[in-house]
Amino acid sequence: MGNVTPTITDILHREEANLAKFRRALRREDQVVFDDLFVAAYKHRAAASYAGHLLPFETFLLAMQMEDHKEVMCLRREVEALRSQIRLLLSESK
Amino acid sequence: MNQYSGWLLDIYSHTERGVVLWLLCDDGQRRRFRQDFPVTFYAAGPSERLRGLWKFLERQPLRMELSRDERRDLFSGSTIVLAATIESPCALPPLFQMLTRYFPDLIFYNADLHVALRYAAIYKTFPLARCHVLADEQDAIHQIKVLDSKWDIDHEQPPLRVLTIEPDADPFHNKPGKIHLRSQKNNMTLDLEKETPLLGLLGYLLKQDDPDLIITTYGDTWLLPLLLNLSEKRDHPLPFNRDPDGQVSYRKERSYFAYNQVIYRGQQVHLTGRLHLDIRNTVMYGDYGVDGVLEMARVTSLPIQTVARVSPGTGISAMQIVTALENEILVPLRKEQVERTKTASELFHDDMGGTVYDPIIGLHEDVAEVDFFSMYPSIMVRFNISPETVGTEKKTFETAAGLTSVVKREELGLIPQTLAPLLEKRFDLKSRVLSMSKFDCRYKNYKAQAAAHKWLLVTCFGYLGYKNARFGRIEAHEAVTAYGREVLLRAKEAAEDLGFRVLHLYVDGMWVQKPGSRAAQDFQPLLDEIKARTSLPIALDGIYKWVAFLSSRWNKKIAVPNRYFGVFQNGEIKTRGIETRRHDTPAFIRETQMQILEALAKASDAKELKDRLPEIRRLIREKQTALHSGHIPLEKFIVHQTVSRKLEDFKSPSPVSTALEQLESAGKSLRPGQSVRLVYTLGMPRARAWDVGTSLDPRRVNIPRYRRLLSRAVDTVLDPLTGGGRSWLTQVEQLVLDL
Repeated sequence: MGNVTPTITDILHREEANLAKFRRALRREDQVVFDDLFVAAYKHRAAASYAGHLLPFETFLLAMQMEDHKEVMCLRREVEALRSQIRLLLSESK
Repeated sequence: MNQYSGWLLDIYSHTERGVVLWLLCDDGQRRRFRQDFPVTFYAAGPSERLRGLWKFLERQPLRMELSRDERRDLFSGSTIVLAATIESPCALPPLFQMLTRYFPDLIFYNADLHVALRYAAIYKTFPLARCHVLADEQDAIHQIKVLDSKWDIDHEQPPLRVLTIEPDADPFHNKPGKIHLRSQKNNMTLDLEKETPLLGLLGYLLKQDDPDLIITTYGDTWLLPLLLNLSEKRDHPLPFNRDPDGQVSYRKERSYFAYNQVIYRGQQVHLTGRLHLDIRNTVMYGDYGVDGVLEMARVTSLPIQTVARVSPGTGISAMQIVTALENEILVPLRKEQVERTKTASELFHDDMGGTVYDPIIGLHEDVAEVDFFSMYPSIMVRFNISPETVGTEKKTFETAAGLTSVVKREELGLIPQTLAPLLEKRFDLKSRVLSMSKFDCRYKNYKAQAAAHKWLLVTCFGYLGYKNARFGRIEAHEAVTAYGREVLLRAKEAAEDLGFRVLHLYVDGMWVQKPGSRAAQDFQPLLDEIKARTSLPIALDGIYKWVAFLSSRWNKKIAVPNRYFGVFQNGEIKTRGIETRRHDTPAFIRETQMQILEALAKASDAKELKDRLPEIRRLIREKQTALHSGHIPLEKFIVHQTVSRKLEDFKSPSPVSTALEQLESAGKSLRPGQSVRLVYTLGMPRARAWDVGTSLDPRRVNIPRYRRLLSRAVDTVLDPLTGGGRSWLTQVEQLVLDL
């Protein structure tokens, strides 16, 4: 039913397949990082599909960046929390 | 003139002229009436070709009136046509075979319509309508008036006399020896080997009970052909037909491809003057039973025997045809429009389907599921989406974001006109069901009716985009999904603005969570806000005590949109996409997974889940022991798989091809779309067809393979619960690994 333009998941699979040789040549520890980046892209398929961008890989890259930034923000919050705990401990010890 | 009132059982073409109608009269008699019913078809095209057609039709040995007319084509507007009216509807199909051969360049309208639909459009009839009839001494109808409406919910139930016939075994597995017959008056078992008493007693029962509806098991594909052959061989007529002039008609078995799968429809046996339903060949019988079939017939106007054996798509198509006929819109023989050329950019923007999010993987507590009520049909009605209304350039404030084609609002379209009363009836039924006790005598019937409507409404969206649908148009299909995406995003924004966390969005449903919100009234402001922002009806489907969204087997970090399970606050379990829902899961595995879920459902909240652990551990051990000690009945190992191609088209051996080969050697062949039953076995071949005829040695069952399947099913339901606080499930995880 309807048209048969490739789904966003098809496009993402294809992009991943296109980079299979690149992935193969990476070191094992880097392959894990590569796979994680694609997981980030998979997480935002709905948004990428809705955007209807003619070059969807750009939206996948943005999705990877976003997940990365989320991680950074999360870590930043944790660092802040730890810092304030340290400050509190230091002030108590004085 | 005589007057009669009663229920309309069936309408079909008379063999000579007009139509035959069967009425279940109020005096208990079943009467056959005849009525003159000329039918008209139309042709459009170049005038010289229409002149050629005119001359051709004049030469035909049929009483026919020809005229030049102007009619409305839904797509091209006012059209000059040749109108041909014939007295005998049954002469139309053979005439059309000729016309399409000699005049392939002409466009034919109202050519292949079921006579019951033509009749319904004029007299507002439907199967089992209450009717009042004025007929002469020869039972020819002069006037017919319908006394109720197909949209009534609590209509009077017709006094149908039912006979059920059921063999004592599945004929495609073992040879049945007996058939059981049950009616309001009689209950008997007949031996299939003793042919003379079988035919005698069956004939007696058909005459004495005179059933209106014969419900059989395997009646289409095995029983009725067997009995009718026997009656012919023994020259002992069986009065399966009530109509003395009628013939038993057979429709051939067929396989076709739809919705990405091969579908098989078995041979059909249709009766005249009586109805025959084979529950094994009735579409969606498991979903809605006889009540649903009757409701499907009421709303679509298709004869009961037909509607039971066609897809809901044919049902919705019939409803559109009736609306078109009522509005004097031409119904094309086949679709004539092609999709206009589009740029890649347009395709990317317009052809996107529904919105499907990746849910947040893991276990979540106090989650509300809110669903739009029949979202796509509601959108079609609310925004007037129909093939003839999509495509204007004038934008309105309600235009969905990114939609290239804009919808005209001035005149109600064909599709919204067809769907509006159906939606209203379903809405009314669902509201009544919600406020009704499960023990209310109307409950089952209401549920069946609502299920029948559901399938019609689900397919009406697909039919807008189906390349062969007479009233389909891809732009209309795309407009629906564009509005759908817009509506769902507005719902998401409303939820986030009110402080809810959106766990998942799936086409027409949304799963939300907010600390402290766990009662229905906590979610009411959200429902009100969504309704205000989208103008579509939305309802709270339920509140989960807990729900688990599952990850993909391929990558644990990636979610699968429609794979989850959870327990509502009322204890009801909901599962999607897991083993219990799959038809290729053996009963033993399905039962075990369901028992684990039932054990988990006893926990009052997610924190209590660990208290169910000892029970689950005991259960898995019991199953494991039963598996190894041969205590599982063999039929619980059966795997159902759909045959996707013919035996010779299999390139490499698979369990299905192995089973097909075995069946072929036993003289039983299956067609694509049919289901094959098999058991995984040790050694070669790796599978054994269940219906091969000889018994299976239990020692040959591939226990290790079933153990792996069991392990996977247990893992599916326990794995998400191990996220976060893993420690409490370590023992079970161990146990699963031990399996």
